[in-house]
Amino acid sequence: MLVSWNYRYRNSPMDHIDPRARFIFSFALLFSATTTWNPNILAGIFLIALIWYSLGRLTWKDTRFGWLMISIMLFTMIVVNTIITGGGAGGVVPEGGQLVWPAGFDLFGRHFTFGLTVERLWFAVSQLMRILSISLVFVMIPYTMDSRAYGVTFSKLGLPDRLAYTMELSFRFIPTLARNFQVTLDAQRARGFELDAGKGSLVQKVKKVAPLIIPVTMNAIVSSEDIANAMDLRGFGQQKRTWLYELKFHWWDWALIAFSILMLLVTLLLAYRFEMRLFSVPAWWYGLFD
Amino acid sequence: MEKTVTTGTKKNIWAFGTNQVVYAAIGAALYAVLTWAFNIWQIPGAGNVGIRPAIVIPMFFGIAFGPIVGFITGFVGNILADMLSGYGFWLWWDLGNGIIGLIPGLFSALIYKYNEQKSIILGEISVVLGSALGMGLASLSERWVSGADMNTVLVANFLPAFLTNIVWGLILLPLLMIAYAAIVSRSGRS
Repeated sequence: MLVSWNYRYRNSPMDHIDPRARFIFSFALLFSATTTWNPNILAGIFLIALIWYSLGRLTWKDTRFGWLMISIMLFTMIVVNTIITGGGAGGVVPEGGQLVWPAGFDLFGRHFTFGLTVERLWFAVSQLMRILSISLVFVMIPYTMDSRAYGVTFSKLGLPDRLAYTMELSFRFIPTLARNFQVTLDAQRARGFELDAGKGSLVQKVKKVAPLIIPVTMNAIVSSEDIANAMDLRGFGQQKRTWLYELKFHWWDWALIAFSILMLLVTLLLAYRFEMRLFSVPAWWYGLFD
Repeated sequence: MEKTVTTGTKKNIWAFGTNQVVYAAIGAALYAVLTWAFNIWQIPGAGNVGIRPAIVIPMFFGIAFGPIVGFITGFVGNILADMLSGYGFWLWWDLGNGIIGLIPGLFSALIYKYNEQKSIILGEISVVLGSALGMGLASLSERWVSGADMNTVLVANFLPAFLTNIVWGLILLPLLMIAYAAIVSRSGRS
């Protein structure tokens, strides 16, 4: 079983931005987007997220699995919960409102009534802008950030060395453990073990995976003692750690951090000082349903 | 070097020495690899939630090596699994997975022999509590992010994740604890 990271160097603008600045921007956008339901602010944030995403020069082929997961999430949240059942809008949109089809509608020779309101439909648009903005920024991280950079990035962002090194070490173990998993799977198959997805009940599936998970886990634990001893012999944790992969801020990284702080401050100011925090429907939207 | 005491005397569950660094890294990598391998069992239609046999890994690492190791196994492991699968970076679900490992880790202070009935019952309680708190926090964050009401959060996010997690945890954790007890006694670990 071959494990490969989704990252590859594309010589895109994103490849030249410091990972620390990228995380600061990503979290500033997350907090900005979740501060307000105002459509104008959300549209602005969505535009920023789109520009940010384009800097990664990602193709559909690269990111399709991520977008598939996001599509399932968006379908559940927006189509099922907000538009069809209305539950997804219950926390923000007030009860009542103007019906999209006040007299119902005819389909396949039958008459249907549907309680979808204009306000709920606009909320679905706002929800789409908010969740897509966050998704655009966060889904691209695995594809555009070198896995060697995570440990040093979190260390430089203030995470204790031991925790940052744990993260670094776990990246290194993945290919080895994936190989152990494949060896164990082959060995169990040679003994007549079958792991057919889609067959049997949930309990039967649980029973099927036990002969696979238990030996892989126990092997990993037994081998970890040797690694810990080797690290101790080399004086792990005796002094401040240095990192092979070095990070360096450029002027554009500082500019990005300044922009991130400004974006967050402006959003907070508009949301709390100018009362633009709550959900509202623009007048032109009502005009579409008159 | 601080060692995790697996049997016998009183444990320091908050120790984080070289052994714990390695256990946490191994646990996170194992959780990521197994999650990635089993990702074919995604539940269609349930937002953000997949059937994950590997969820037992942070629970077990918490029980065996303490709350910090359990938390890192779940938190970092989920980040790595999402990276391998190309799903992105979802901090609130990563934190939820960390809590699934953290709570059993708190129970590890009460567990000395992994194959005893009392230890297994404590492990099972920690599975339910950890899953409830971890998935509860992650699901509630969807209220903040997507503005969904409590009912939607409960039905679309919390219940599918919580129920599948406890099914895997309740069945697989005792098996892992018994297997680990055999390793502990065979290798003479203290």
